[in-house]
Amino acid sequence: MSGDSQGYKVVLGVIGADCHAVGNRILTSVLTQGGIEVVNLGVMVSQDEFIDCARAEQAGAILVSSIYGHGELDCQDFRARCEERGLGDIVLYVGGNLVIGKQEFAAVEAQFRDMGFDRVFRPTVDLAEVIALLKSDIDQRRPAGLRNSRALPAERLSA
Amino acid sequence: MTDLNNRRLDAAAFDAERGEVLQGWATGAGVCFADALRVQEALPVEKRFAVALAEADAQGHTLLQPRAGVALVREHVALLNGLSPYCDVLPTTIDAYTRHNRYAEAQEGIDRSRAAGTSLLNGFPAVNHGVEGCRRLVEALEKPVQVRHGTPDARLLAEITLAAGFSSFEGGGISYNIPYAKHVPLERSIRHWQYCDRLVGRFEEAGISINREPFGPLTGTLVPPFVSHVVAILEGLLALEQGVKCITLGYGQAGNVAQDIAALRSLRRLANHYFLNAGFTDYRLTTVFHQWMGGFPEDESQATAVICLGALVARQARATKIIVKTPHEASGVPTLEANQAGLKATRQMVNMISDQNRVDSPDIQMEIDVIEAEVHAVMREILRLGGGDVARGAVLAFAAGVMDVPFAPAKANLGKLTPVRDNHGAIRLFDVGNVPLPADVLAFHRDKIAERARAERRDPSFNMVVDDVRAISASKLVGRPA
Ligand code: B12
Repeated sequence: MSGDSQGYKVVLGVIGADCHAVGNRILTSVLTQGGIEVVNLGVMVSQDEFIDCARAEQAGAILVSSIYGHGELDCQDFRARCEERGLGDIVLYVGGNLVIGKQEFAAVEAQFRDMGFDRVFRPTVDLAEVIALLKSDIDQRRPAGLRNSRALPAERLSA
Repeated sequence: MTDLNNRRLDAAAFDAERGEVLQGWATGAGVCFADALRVQEALPVEKRFAVALAEADAQGHTLLQPRAGVALVREHVALLNGLSPYCDVLPTTIDAYTRHNRYAEAQEGIDRSRAAGTSLLNGFPAVNHGVEGCRRLVEALEKPVQVRHGTPDARLLAEITLAAGFSSFEGGGISYNIPYAKHVPLERSIRHWQYCDRLVGRFEEAGISINREPFGPLTGTLVPPFVSHVVAILEGLLALEQGVKCITLGYGQAGNVAQDIAALRSLRRLANHYFLNAGFTDYRLTTVFHQWMGGFPEDESQATAVICLGALVARQARATKIIVKTPHEASGVPTLEANQAGLKATRQMVNMISDQNRVDSPDIQMEIDVIEAEVHAVMREILRLGGGDVARGAVLAFAAGVMDVPFAPAKANLGKLTPVRDNHGAIRLFDVGNVPLPADVLAFHRDKIAERARAERRDPSFNMVVDDVRAISASKLVGRPA
């Protein structure tokens, strides 16, 4: 799999006080090979750090990981915060071991969709599927005229 | 590295620092060392960690210990008392906000957990509960209880929990920084852990033995045995210097049986070698084996198989203690029942291995030889860098990549060393980074990896490493191509 990664730029990180670094390394490696440009903030990232970076990098999506179980506390109001900061319609994904304990995924998914995440992923998700979804979600949020013109430099996408 | 060195902290400076530490959160005001001594002295012998370890060591038993921690005191007491019949020593796993001294967020977690009627924290926020809450906990238990965490600056946590009657404290300045933090300078966490060790030293001087356990598994993910052994030895030396007497060194299961048995057998020998060489004779050393610390299979039966393999190896290698995983590992913080299930499976396996003869093989001996050569090479360079001082040597070694932990989040870690499994699942070095291993050892690693590459008809690459990271979750040991 290779692609023009310039068209698909995402900000990736592990939110809150979470130090789980392994999945973050794997995601970076697999997404990059799948044609996505990853700006990786690593572990222990605050909501504002995600948002600042997504603005500075003009990223098409923010991919939040939460592995350690405090996702429910750390992700509160994430979409609202994006809106406040002028990133109202950025693609927002979240994945990992999002809540404390083994819980029914459908309930977890609903809970995080309510917080404004576009898609919610379990730890065992197939990353090839994620890559395909991510590309199509980013394409759909782009201003109509610019869709599918992947070679455009990032600055022009938000112009 | 301004003034860090491996010398016992001066009494006046320690007392001054203590004044500041206790102001870190309101509950610090509840700490009084004289009261702490009284609480520890009053602990019945069956609630003293050091005694449980000494007895197990003398009788050749292996103790079982789960991990557990929830937000509220009453629920945490109930959880530990539900686990107690199935284990030998108890844990209190601390939540991640407390680990980063983010006590205001821990408080929000407590409040919201109370409102939700279920724990929203991944551990027990001991600092927020204070000496009083922790004492209620210890009093309600019937077995020794240890603080298990991942805190770069654990000074306040140590003051509060030891004052409440906890009799063992996990962690260390390297093992609770490199895998657990992002921006904490290593010289700072080592210095903060000298304080924790000195505090334990003061208890020892007053006749109270507190067990200290450096965190063996580090990132839990394909960590070569020599890497964790070097950290264990360094943290052991740093603790002994501050007056710690009762030390348990750890190792996290890697997966290949011969390598894991070799690792545990070599750990005790190597540690005694370095401790005695540094002039320490008055200490009690035990070992702890952690069942597989990397990604688990989601299926509960498969997870139980991983747990049992760890139990087998730990008992075969006569670990003093096993840290037990649960069938919920891949999913989330376990329920009481899942935690009991892990303990029961482990107990069955430990019992069945106990009567069996010691397994020896040329493979095990070869792995021991390799680990010892690696540890000596790295320790030699650390001592050289530090001019004989292991505190300075450790900081300089990490900065230069002479010591390097795979997959660690800390900026203080170079992150060049990359492990991969060989054709039999033992952990070898795909990229040694800047770690100064002898040429024959490096050639051995290369040959072992080449053997796997031939078997899989592909070149060794980072993709092979990625496959290995996910292999056990996908029901295998070695990450073979599909
Ligand atoms: C290794 C490990 C550790 C290591 C981490 C080393 C490091 N720095 O990375 C150590 C030992 C240090 C550790 C510590 C802790 N851990 Co831990 N850890 C694990 C373990 C065993 C494996 C994690 C891992 O590396 N998996 C391999 C990678 C490849 O998978 P992954 O992380 O799941 O990531 C993949 C997917 O989730 C997905 N994904 C992740 N994010 C996203 C985002 C998007 C958008 C998408 C599409 C996909 C996606 O893709 C990733 C790549 O494939 C898991 C349990 C398990 N899974 O078996 C527990 C686990 C994650 N840990 C847990 C906890 C709680 C902790 C601690 C808080 C201690 C504690 N209380 O028990 C501390 C963390 C303190 C802190 N400040 O964060 C819990 C979380 C519980 C929960 N959610 O209910 C788990 C589930 C164990 C358990 N059952 O209790 N841990």
